[in-house]
Amino acid sequence: MKILAIVPAYNEEECLESTIAELTSTCPDVDYLVINDGSSDSTGPICDSLGLNHVDLPINCGLASGFRTGMKYALRNGYDAAVQIDSDGQHIPSYIPVMAEALSQKKADVVIASRNLAGGGAVGARGIGAKLITGLIRFASGQVISDPTSGMRMYNRKMIEKFAKSFDLQPEPDAMAYLIRKGATVVEVPAEMRDRQGGTSYLNFFKSISYMARTCLSIILFIWFR
Amino acid sequence: MSSLLRVILAIGAFVALGVVINRVKKGKIRVADSIFWVVSAAVLVVVAIFPGIAFFFSGLLGFLSPSNFVFVVIIALMLIKLFSLSCELSRQTNRIDELSQEIALHNKKTDGD
Repeated sequence: MKILAIVPAYNEEECLESTIAELTSTCPDVDYLVINDGSSDSTGPICDSLGLNHVDLPINCGLASGFRTGMKYALRNGYDAAVQIDSDGQHIPSYIPVMAEALSQKKADVVIASRNLAGGGAVGARGIGAKLITGLIRFASGQVISDPTSGMRMYNRKMIEKFAKSFDLQPEPDAMAYLIRKGATVVEVPAEMRDRQGGTSYLNFFKSISYMARTCLSIILFIWFR
Repeated sequence: MSSLLRVILAIGAFVALGVVINRVKKGKIRVADSIFWVVSAAVLVVVAIFPGIAFFFSGLLGFLSPSNFVFVVIIALMLIKLFSLSCELSRQTNRIDELSQEIALHNKKTDGD
């Protein structure tokens, strides 16, 4: 199975090198593509000097657009599966083969690496937000996604095409509810994750609020209208 | 507030909500951009069904009539939205300019090779 790891990077000069080094040493069979999303720090020069397989978006387009760039690349280069790996070192590459096995054995369309199934999971306000999203997805699709906000998800060929071509389909929890309702098989595998190894989180307080509003409204709209 | 105005407000609110949801469904507006419209239309529907809310606030703030209160709120919301749209338009204009410059410079580099 030809797998592409999509690594979106926005101002991740601190961790990018070690993340890619770990990825290539743990999973030499997995190709990767770094999406430098218009970074203003030295993420771009680092990619050039290390000779990383990467694309540079000329302006900052956000995670969804960066990820979609990766999906288009995967589609055009004939990959069987694509997995999103954060550049901050949160995601442990040794789970990629585990996810790939689940993808082929369970004939799944999407495999999510779940911290909750491994006994971890978001805590505090993030944990409450995640539980709310889990509840909404369950209401919308009848399926329990224990770790909806996990960024580490693997998609099969069919989903690669869907993400590359659809309007406003983002690699976010609401898309999972949508895909399940459209008949996709979404499974979870237990996985541990680390804390981010450097840099700052994309989500601050106000972004978190608007993220929650968007996700919840989107799921509700999906239930009734899409 | 006359009952005719209430009925018009209610019909308008329902139609607005329907139009917004229809556009989302057809993929003409992103969910993130539709939040403002969905919430506004939903609030209008609620006020139309429970006009007591408008009466309460207009009394509290000293408006001569609840309909004045409703109009003021709608106008204020429109001004806020208009301004934020102007800001967003500036941002988009700048981004398109930047993309054009990047493409032009990129083409120049490829031609030169």
